[in-house]
Amino acid sequence: MHPLNWVIVVGWLAYVVTHGVRRSKGTKGIEGYFLANRSLPWWAVGLSVMATQLSAVTMIGTTGQGATDGMRFIQFYFGLPIAMVILGVTLVPFLHGARVYTAYEYLERRFDAKTRSLTAFLFLVSRAMSCGTIIAAPAVVFSAIFGWPVAWSVALIGVPAVLYTMVGGVQAVTWVDVKQMYLIVGALVAVVITLIVQIPVSPGEALHIAGAAGRLKVFDFSFSLTNTYTFWSGLIGGTFLMLSYFGTDQSQVQRYLAAKSVDEARTSLLISAYWKIPLQALVLLVGVLVFVFYQFQRPPLLFNPAHERRVRAAEPAVYGGLEARYAAGLTVRDTAARTVAAAHDRGDEPAAAAAMTRLRASDDSVSAVRTEALALAQRVTGQASKDVNYIIPRFVLDYLPIGLAGVFIAAVIAAAMNAISGELNSLSTTTVIDFYRRWIRSEAPDEHFLKVSRTATGLWGVFACVVATYAVNLGSLIEVVNRFGSFFYGSILGVFLLAMIARARAAGAFIGLLAGMALVGAVNFGAPSVSFLWHNVIGAVTVVVVGMVISMLPRAPERILRD
Amino acid sequence: MSDENPDGGRRFRKTLVSVMAVQIVTLLLLWLLQRRYTP
Repeated sequence: MHPLNWVIVVGWLAYVVTHGVRRSKGTKGIEGYFLANRSLPWWAVGLSVMATQLSAVTMIGTTGQGATDGMRFIQFYFGLPIAMVILGVTLVPFLHGARVYTAYEYLERRFDAKTRSLTAFLFLVSRAMSCGTIIAAPAVVFSAIFGWPVAWSVALIGVPAVLYTMVGGVQAVTWVDVKQMYLIVGALVAVVITLIVQIPVSPGEALHIAGAAGRLKVFDFSFSLTNTYTFWSGLIGGTFLMLSYFGTDQSQVQRYLAAKSVDEARTSLLISAYWKIPLQALVLLVGVLVFVFYQFQRPPLLFNPAHERRVRAAEPAVYGGLEARYAAGLTVRDTAARTVAAAHDRGDEPAAAAAMTRLRASDDSVSAVRTEALALAQRVTGQASKDVNYIIPRFVLDYLPIGLAGVFIAAVIAAAMNAISGELNSLSTTTVIDFYRRWIRSEAPDEHFLKVSRTATGLWGVFACVVATYAVNLGSLIEVVNRFGSFFYGSILGVFLLAMIARARAAGAFIGLLAGMALVGAVNFGAPSVSFLWHNVIGAVTVVVVGMVISMLPRAPERILRD
Repeated sequence: MSDENPDGGRRFRKTLVSVMAVQIVTLLLLWLLQRRYTP
């Protein structure tokens, strides 16, 4: 990468660390450290909520998915605005009004200590591992592209984020999130403009080419429990997932607990709902335009340069054969794309339709060669290829003008830092509030808790960086943990729904939680093709039903659980 | 809630209406994009 791009990246990192540390001034106690003394304005909290969920995976993985699979992924988010409205009128007033530090603390007030501790423990396990994977995803890509050891990339992303989060707490996290959101959106818009300028046909013709290859198919109204990207999965399953995530996950709850009032807290959630679908559309559009761009420029057969080198060295003849077939397919696709654009330009619809058919056929044959190349790469390297994550970084470094490439790489790092800083802060909060202060030392000066909180943030940061460094080797373990995480997401939502029902009792909540997790686990293993979006619906409904049945029983279950 | 105030409530309702309007317009645009360009 050009030195000017590195100057931009390093300059941005220095700026965010300085800005974050400066924001820590005035943080005297843990209420300031964890909740900014409940003083943050709604718009900053809203941007921070958005920033926390917009990770580097979105910047490089989702854009890549737009290039290979088109816009249909956006259906995943159709439930988000509905979930935000529901939370705004139900859970947010409950949690903010309770003046708690964590969502789980509220559960002890409503039910009992064991329900609190179990939900907090489940959060710690899943979030700590996911924090590592959030750093690992871009770190592995950077390492392959720049030829660095993974540990260097992990340090580039992890060290600044851990530093400002540890020193500044939620104040630093929120205000750095705000600044970084401007950078991320600015970088995406700049890439879209650059692509429109660089594609040698008009934007309308570019969209015709994308549409002909099926990249602009957004809506799928079929009803399927196994397909994640349908309108109904997104609307129903997505609503439950977003209710679980924004309503019960401390990394999100903590953002709006820091708002000045209930109204500001729920308005901040709506701000996040405002922009999520348009922003995701922009992210996917970047990928779709990159796809169109590569109709006129020859794309590499494998975007991951490290895999490309290894496969070329290990299987030169096989890879050479695939490259020859790929080049022939690309030539046909290029001609078809130009014909589609020219036919639309002169209004010749029959010629355009015939060219679109050729474009689709040639795109299918190019994809088939790529599938073979990916299987070969997986066999040679012994690693899952995840080539989709390399499409945008390769495009950025090969074709974006000097300076803009640096801005985009800085934006990818910013997205990763936003996601992990919020999570580290919430991991520290749960550790200190739900475990240390609850079970180990309930009385101590505020300075003591502040010191423990900063130490906890630092330790979780180190843990996340270690997980990220060894993520390639820990692949299956991380998958197990993520799978385990999906067992209880909806079930925890069920516990919070029970909390809002006056007749629900502690035994019902605890037994319901176990029942919900068990049923989701059974579905996961018994019917593995059911999309994970439906797991949250199953978990939440089971907890509420079982919880209410237990709560209606005579007091026996409480005695059993107590004994 | 105790810290609810009429201004905050008004802002919430106003934001709610505009959020829904933005979602409907976005979905409509996406639908038109699909209709216009997907054969």
